[in-house]
Amino acid sequence: MSSNIYTNLLFKSLYNPVDSFRDLSQVDPAPLQILLRYSIWLLLLPPFFAWIGASNFGWRLGAEEPLRLPADALLVISIGYLLVLLFGLVSTAFISRWMASTYGANKSLGRHLALVTMVGQPLAVASIAHLFPDVLVNVLVLIPTMIWSMYLLYKGIPIALETPPERGMLMASSLVGWLLVAAVSLLGISMALWALGVGPLLGV
Amino acid sequence: MTMTENTIYQDRVTLRLIQFAVVWAVVAMTAGVYLAAELIWPTIDFGQFWLSFGRLRPLHTNGIVFGFGVSALMATAFYSVQRTSHVTLFSPRLAWFCCYAWQLTVLLGGLSLLAGWNTTKEYAELEWPFDIAIAVVWICFAVVFFGTIATRKIRPIYISNWFYGALIIVIAMLHIVNNLALPVSLNKSYSLYAGAQDAVVQWWYGHNAVGFLLTGGFLGMVYYFLPKHAGRPIWSYRLSVVAFWAFVYSYIWAGPHHLHYNSIPEWVQSLGMVMSIVLLAPSWATLINGVMTVSTAWEKLRTDPALKFIVLSLAFYGLATFEGPMMAIRSVNVVSHFTDWTIGHVHSGALGWNAMITYGTFYFMVPRLVGRELYSTRLANIHFWMALAGTMLYIIAMWAAGVSQGLLWLSVDQLGELSFDFKDIMSSMTPYYLLRLVAGLVFLGGTVLMAYNLFMTMKGREPVAVTPPPVAPAFGVAS
Amino acid sequence: MNGLSLHRKIEENTGLLIFGILVVSAIGGLVQLVPVLNQDSLEEPTSNTRPYSAVELTGRDIYMREGCSVCHSQQIRPLIAEVERYGPYSRAGEFVYDRPFMWGSKRTGPDLHRIGGKYSDDWHRLHLLDPRAVVAESIMPAYPWLGEREASEAGNITAKMRGLRRLGHPYTDEEIAAAEADLEGLKEIDTLIAYLQLLGTNFNEEEETNE
Repeated sequence: MSSNIYTNLLFKSLYNPVDSFRDLSQVDPAPLQILLRYSIWLLLLPPFFAWIGASNFGWRLGAEEPLRLPADALLVISIGYLLVLLFGLVSTAFISRWMASTYGANKSLGRHLALVTMVGQPLAVASIAHLFPDVLVNVLVLIPTMIWSMYLLYKGIPIALETPPERGMLMASSLVGWLLVAAVSLLGISMALWALGVGPLLGV
Repeated sequence: MTMTENTIYQDRVTLRLIQFAVVWAVVAMTAGVYLAAELIWPTIDFGQFWLSFGRLRPLHTNGIVFGFGVSALMATAFYSVQRTSHVTLFSPRLAWFCCYAWQLTVLLGGLSLLAGWNTTKEYAELEWPFDIAIAVVWICFAVVFFGTIATRKIRPIYISNWFYGALIIVIAMLHIVNNLALPVSLNKSYSLYAGAQDAVVQWWYGHNAVGFLLTGGFLGMVYYFLPKHAGRPIWSYRLSVVAFWAFVYSYIWAGPHHLHYNSIPEWVQSLGMVMSIVLLAPSWATLINGVMTVSTAWEKLRTDPALKFIVLSLAFYGLATFEGPMMAIRSVNVVSHFTDWTIGHVHSGALGWNAMITYGTFYFMVPRLVGRELYSTRLANIHFWMALAGTMLYIIAMWAAGVSQGLLWLSVDQLGELSFDFKDIMSSMTPYYLLRLVAGLVFLGGTVLMAYNLFMTMKGREPVAVTPPPVAPAFGVAS
Repeated sequence: MNGLSLHRKIEENTGLLIFGILVVSAIGGLVQLVPVLNQDSLEEPTSNTRPYSAVELTGRDIYMREGCSVCHSQQIRPLIAEVERYGPYSRAGEFVYDRPFMWGSKRTGPDLHRIGGKYSDDWHRLHLLDPRAVVAESIMPAYPWLGEREASEAGNITAKMRGLRRLGHPYTDEEIAAAEADLEGLKEIDTLIAYLQLLGTNFNEEEETNE
């Protein structure tokens, strides 16, 4: 079972997430193993797609002219993107584990990491939309995916972390709160950096 | 003692206010959806002045804040102040007057907005006759509320009542000061303040109308209904004491963050920014208190669909009270100001927090008021997911639109020339506006489901007669 | 007496609670509003700023009535891109006759603070009656009724100017007496255009920088 858990997580959770959540509830994987044999592949996808898309076509923020960035700036942004995703994943897993005692959930860090990755997996796959770097296209693809991910979060927590559905619902809502705050912080930080002169020129 | 009108809780007025609040929610949200459509298809006002965007939008905002919001706050305040004071409403007649006079004021006020009576001060668009009417009803509301507290049978004043009390007092202060104007005819007045001074006064009002009505008032709801739902006391009483006073003190300073880089003195802007960030502390103290209270009472979720709404509303409360201070930082605000991000922020509060907590509260109160199970738990569950999906879709669409606008407006090329034409940026917004329209429809759809569900629950029922329970002598008022 | 027992007094006394809330919530407002309302420089018009004429005032009130400020700001921030797009940034002294201020909070359409003189009267007329005839992408509503209604019926201009004079706008008796005649024969749209053409023109860059 545990020998193929990583492949199982990587593929089965796409077409049968409930089953993979159940598989996960049977094991106590080592956090580093999860990170290196499962999460990392998914974490690499969005920056990779973004890099290809932006270097070939330039970002369209909606208006006529695409926004072209120099190659080295693009690399920095892609690596930054990867680090942000990594930070998001790890911090969410830690917060999730920290919440676990309040909601009577399992406290294995590996499981929390795997769960957060599974919930984010549809988004990582859908980030293929970054190949076509138009904000609108990306929003159209990623919003439905995100609602699906939220559904997975509510569905997955009680199964994978072995807590009653009602407590799982509370825990999932708390995590949604954290994720919303994290998302808006990211938005705010990038805007502030942009306004302060990092990234494309703004006349401020 | 016989069960006469004077010895039972006055719940008929509460039930009526709930009905009005639901009607306002449907009406004002429908107006909002129509406005969203007008931004995509501008000709659907058919050349009718009363359907014109500029006249319909104030109806939408006033309908939500004063129609839906205040009716819900009055209903829950009347309900909870009796139960936390162990006494029936002070002057029920005056309470009924508040109920109907308020509805009449908002209804006629809304029509006057369509007729073009508009002071253009945001959330204070109503002209002077309505301002006076609002002040009169508000004072009556204060008399009923504080009268009930003054005649209470239990010594401590419960914490939800402090928040409702702050709502009543501070909104009265803001409303009167901001609306001081010289009338020149029935439908026209000129503000006592002009230009930059008017701007500072207006946003002192505008920000704190949000603060004390949409945040403080609804926190009153949290502090009464959350422990009630959960069946246990608030997690930390001390924390709520500290959070309350910090909230009342610091909120009022934050208004000038609406005027960053505008023609007002710089120190006012900086002060507004700093205090906006400070504000995060009391806002989140209450959040923690709420989350911890409910997290020990999870088993209630099994039997109570209403609690789900309250739990989720806390998540969005957390988002909105974090996003607000962040947008008050000047280097974020420089991008976000004047864009749809602001609209998204308002709706993460109004839909995710205010509407959700009110829905949760109504699903809790109505079955208890009429003494009958909720007509359909399944419909309530569907409503929950519609509300969540609608809110998420709405705020994400507006984030994307707002960030694009903010960046594209400010983008310059290597020579310092503007990169984009305003009208190109504007026309590129249509898809986001379309998404927002869908989001609004989904949210409105959920609200209509609730209206039907509550209507079927109330149908043909009168409020159950409840007498105040006796107070333990240790807490009783010495008489 | 420690903090909590002091607080117990407040929470058992309605009057104290009301008083406490009033005092605590008033502080921030007083600190901000009192200095701002007493700062004379905020009431000092720039050299070219004058009260609105009868026609412009009528136009401004129509601008308010139609809720134009919901989608158009009148406030240019001192940012390079903004100055480039709209013109010199807004000064407090330009708004001293604005009751109320109409800086707005949302730009669904462009800022209008310096729209005056940028387009011809005919352009504005066409644009207000049928925006998409002039700007194909526009999502602005059309205002057909402005071309039909008489300006003299859009409120009592004499009462308005008298009211504003009581608030300190320096109108002369002659101006007020002539106000109704000024509106004679004009449609609402004419007054609105007069207001739009005035917007932002009361600023003289050289004069202001010399001060």
